[in-house]
Amino acid sequence: MKLALLSESPADELAVLVLAEAVLGEPIHRVQPHLRARGWPNVAQVLPPIIRHLHFRTEAEGLIVVVDSDDSVVHTEEHEADGYFHPHCRLCQLRAVFRRTIKKLPPARGRERVLRCVGLAVPAIEAWYLCGTDSSVSEAAWIQGQKKGYQPYTRAELKERVYGTSRPSLQHEIDCALREVQRHRANPRRLEADFPGGFGALARDLRDMKKMARAAPRPD
Amino acid sequence: MELKSFNLVIGPNGSGKTSLIQSLLRLRTLSRLAGETNPPPREIQAEGPTIEFRFGVPNESAVARLSCVSEMVCDQVEFTGVDAAARKELQTWILGIRAYLFDHYAMAESRVETPGLELAANGANLSVVLANLQKTHPDAFGRLQDELVRIVPEFVSIGFQRSGNTVQLALKLSDGTGEVTAENLSQGTLYTLGMMFLAFHPTPPSVVCIEEIDRGVHPRMLREVRDLLYRLSYPADFKENCPPVQVIATTHSPYMLDLFKNHPDEVIISHKHGTSAHFERLSDREDLEDLLSESSLGDMWFSGILGGVPEE
Repeated sequence: MKLALLSESPADELAVLVLAEAVLGEPIHRVQPHLRARGWPNVAQVLPPIIRHLHFRTEAEGLIVVVDSDDSVVHTEEHEADGYFHPHCRLCQLRAVFRRTIKKLPPARGRERVLRCVGLAVPAIEAWYLCGTDSSVSEAAWIQGQKKGYQPYTRAELKERVYGTSRPSLQHEIDCALREVQRHRANPRRLEADFPGGFGALARDLRDMKKMARAAPRPD
Repeated sequence: MELKSFNLVIGPNGSGKTSLIQSLLRLRTLSRLAGETNPPPREIQAEGPTIEFRFGVPNESAVARLSCVSEMVCDQVEFTGVDAAARKELQTWILGIRAYLFDHYAMAESRVETPGLELAANGANLSVVLANLQKTHPDAFGRLQDELVRIVPEFVSIGFQRSGNTVQLALKLSDGTGEVTAENLSQGTLYTLGMMFLAFHPTPPSVVCIEEIDRGVHPRMLREVRDLLYRLSYPADFKENCPPVQVIATTHSPYMLDLFKNHPDEVIISHKHGTSAHFERLSDREDLEDLLSESSLGDMWFSGILGGVPEE
């Protein structure tokens, strides 16, 4: 599939690419490589022009966007109800940006729109990296912590657990990210089970996109 | 202001960022001149400025006080709280303070090969010190070279062109088409090489002050610059076996500031008030976490809500 990927760093980009390919079960052909945002809320700010650019000027079938939830509201099953929008959920916000942007765009390059694949790493992508090795790290644990007002771990602690430091070099971050996501390359179901709101949503978007792409093959 | 292992100083022009660095250099200069004992007491200008320096372990009881003996002469340094042996050790550490403001024209020049040189304040002898590093510490040079090739992949190795007794840096292109001599390298590449030399040298200064660390560097490459300086401040995190270096860096780049979202304790904001200024640590701001959920550090700084902006 021809996909673009918007991320905060080269490490995130490489890791998400591996995970997305694991979900799709096929290699991704990168369109417009290395799209970057400078974290939240910059992702939401740059998303509309990026969608427009991909829609009119590239062959991208979809755009993958993954952001950290930090301390914001975690995306849950409740948010998936038709018409539901949580104003403090970053995933809901990004979906809204997608909706608002693509509804103004006419079909281009033989397709209706660039499809949406949005994920939310709770509270940060390092939590995904620990999936399968640290059973204390999960969306459920984080949500429980939010309810009790006491987080089971901090974002800095997650970095320490993954990188051995809260100040990893970029190369070390890439090496660790790629090492950790290898566990999910063959089967990302564990990640979907432990992170149903944030990673599960991304996985559903990816599978829906694949179905739509198969249902409506585009002319070359 | 308590300085940490790593300090990023932001603020408007003329708000004292350079003055902070100059105060450390003055301490170094006067310490060198002071010798091993305090000078005979002179009458200190009562209302004149003083700068008091305190130190970390093992010299936490030591104080170095700079003061003025007249309106025009501020050359008095007095050490208290240390015995002679500790003072000598402390002065050695102080003499290791270095400040850099790189000049890419100077960095690109051919220079006479001279052993034992340290990197000049403007980076002028970059070619010489890199050539020396290759000879004296080939392992460190090799790791520096690997890092350069990773960051700037159009190059495959660091070489040197020699003419008579002079040497000039030349980077070999990875496509095999030749070398790019220092005078044809980009500003950002030269500045990055200067920082790399400091970061990979086995005997770095005790304190490194660098002005405008973002200069000439693409915003996406600022992470690499930050990592190089972190390598100095936190060598163990980078598996480097050398003493930690205290780093004081300045920037005007909101993008660079964004990279300190997880470590606001490493950011010092210089607030300007007319002809005076004061410093404040970003992490002292109580509502910072709430603010960060709404915006990036760089945008908040530009907006003015963090302070450290020009007076209008």
